[in-house]
Amino acid sequence: MAQDVLNALTLGSLYLLFALGMSLAWGTIGVLNFAHGSIFMFSAFGAHLAVQAVPLPMPAMIAIGVGIGAVLSLAVQVLAFEPIQRRAADAHTAQLQIIVAGIGIAGIPLAVAQYVTRSVPFGYSAGTFEVTVHDLGPVRVTDVQVVILVAALGIAGLIAWWLRAARAGLALRAIGVDAEVAAMMGVDRRRLALLTMAVAGGLAGLAGVLLTYHLGSIAPETGDAFLLKAFAAIILGGVGSIAGVVIGAMVLAGIETLVLVTTSGTWAPAIAFGVLFAMLLVRPRGLLGRMEVRRT
Amino acid sequence: MRGTRWLRAAGALLIAIGATACTAPGGQAGAPAGASGGGGGEGLPPTIKILSTRALTGPVSFAGINAQKGIDLAVERIAQDGLLGGSTLEIETKDVAASTQEAASAASQAIADPSYAAILGPEASAQAAAVSPIAQSAGMPVVYVQAGSEGVLVGDYTFRVTPPAQSYFALVGAHLAGKGVRTASVLFNSGNPTLVELGQKAVPALGEQHGFQVVGSAGVEVTAQDFTTAASQIAGQGPDVAFLMLTGPQSPVAITQLRQAGFTGEIVGMSAMGAGNLAPAGEQAAGAIWPTNFTATQAAPTSQEFVRAYQAKYGGEMPNNYAAEAYDAVWFIARGIARANSVDRAAVQQGLAAIAAEGFAGAQGDITFDGHDARVPGVLVRWDGAGEAVLEDGTP
Repeated sequence: MAQDVLNALTLGSLYLLFALGMSLAWGTIGVLNFAHGSIFMFSAFGAHLAVQAVPLPMPAMIAIGVGIGAVLSLAVQVLAFEPIQRRAADAHTAQLQIIVAGIGIAGIPLAVAQYVTRSVPFGYSAGTFEVTVHDLGPVRVTDVQVVILVAALGIAGLIAWWLRAARAGLALRAIGVDAEVAAMMGVDRRRLALLTMAVAGGLAGLAGVLLTYHLGSIAPETGDAFLLKAFAAIILGGVGSIAGVVIGAMVLAGIETLVLVTTSGTWAPAIAFGVLFAMLLVRPRGLLGRMEVRRT
Repeated sequence: MRGTRWLRAAGALLIAIGATACTAPGGQAGAPAGASGGGGGEGLPPTIKILSTRALTGPVSFAGINAQKGIDLAVERIAQDGLLGGSTLEIETKDVAASTQEAASAASQAIADPSYAAILGPEASAQAAAVSPIAQSAGMPVVYVQAGSEGVLVGDYTFRVTPPAQSYFALVGAHLAGKGVRTASVLFNSGNPTLVELGQKAVPALGEQHGFQVVGSAGVEVTAQDFTTAASQIAGQGPDVAFLMLTGPQSPVAITQLRQAGFTGEIVGMSAMGAGNLAPAGEQAAGAIWPTNFTATQAAPTSQEFVRAYQAKYGGEMPNNYAAEAYDAVWFIARGIARANSVDRAAVQQGLAAIAAEGFAGAQGDITFDGHDARVPGVLVRWDGAGEAVLEDGTP
């Protein structure tokens, strides 16, 4: 039982790390970035290429992954999303075009990684870090699991605090509520949008590297599967709410783990998404949608 | 005047229909409508065109790219061998990635073009299942590699050179019985029909036959990435052996997490563990075994001949099962055409059926056919932490 709870928390933390960046960008600057999964995978892949050349420790790998994720995300914002936002007739049209552009852009890093790896899984076995397993009474926990749990919950707390207490965070929330009014109040929307996308990309990179350490290897297509789960977690928790994403990710992972433990496992995705669907019928804005009013 | 024009048009239409009827499927009894080409036995043209629909990009590109290498080698070797006399085998490859629509569209185009004698079909079952009915109804011979699910072999015109995993899975049973295995747990990918059948039917049947009991069986979703919970469950059940009927990318993750969960028993997989897929798991996967239709170190003389030729062409690279299967598939088509002595599609089908009835020796060893579905002796392989080595060879 304790082991199952730990496994569910780890899975939920992985969903959370992935979903945090998506949620931040969607809930504040209105960018639903469907290239997030590709950035997540390509950051991990970039770190893999680096470790093949030079044996690196885990902190260096994380730094590389975060850096690649941030740069890729910034590039997507500057080269694709900003021009769309400038040219679109209205905000709603821009959001739809950004979704389509994100789906299209996602194919590029995926194709590159598939071409280089031939879709064979890749990992960090050439690095200096080795996963250690600890027996703590009834549970077995790896050091990577501990890092994932601390990173996911710590970063979620940090972002939630920053959005509520820091001046820049408050400005970002103001953009989420009404971008035009925020601009009239002196908020530099472009600068904050770039910062948000860089943070979102960096979080994707962090999640990609940690997931690769946790699983031992990932495939180029791994990002696609996580994108769907993260999207579900955000919708369940309530768009734009950091606390909602935390709850959404943990509930999704909890249901999946419960189904796996109590049934043959075949129905895990169907039951998990069925429960989500039923919950959204009752609370269309997500679990914390009403409490958070509009945006974080 | 107008009536005369209509009469002329109707007459021309009747002549055209008559001419088509005369040239339809080489006069073969029972051949499907729509087959084109001249009558059988008229000899081979200077160039024999085959369409190859491969996944050179996308999630199954690991199979497509390696298959392409086997195809290129086979074309070279067939030319050297002189099997087709003065004719040249020309294989036109279309990358259909993971798209079922593209695979079906490419097949339809080849069917409409009378210069194509046959199709080397796509690897993915979904793509193959879309191509087969089109090809069968049009009388176009198709030879598949991989594409292991039901609905792929739908009639006389469809053949498969990759044997189903179930046909050589028995190799595992004898090995486990020898090790005194009494209990087993199964983890299978619930979105893949072949893996579901292996997990839910083949493994329990093996247990009944060789005296071990399945104490736990669980499915995971088709794109599952994390097996922590499933691994903990299996470790808790404490079986002597864990069967992992998973895809290539899932296998190293599941093995790593099983070992981290404290499982110390035997690990058995299937051919998806080959082709370098276990490399990321490294030493943690050492000892994992799986039955396969081909490994580069198997003993069969024709297998070793293929390996030597492959290494000579590709700078010492070791071939994997995807390359071996595609190599055999091209040779199978070439033999069928040579037997037919014609590129008429109905005649090629007859030629392929005749070769299938006889069997032949190829990269996979001695290949026989159950109907239109290949069978090979198979080989049991063990991962030693850095590469795969033969544990038991099914070749007598």
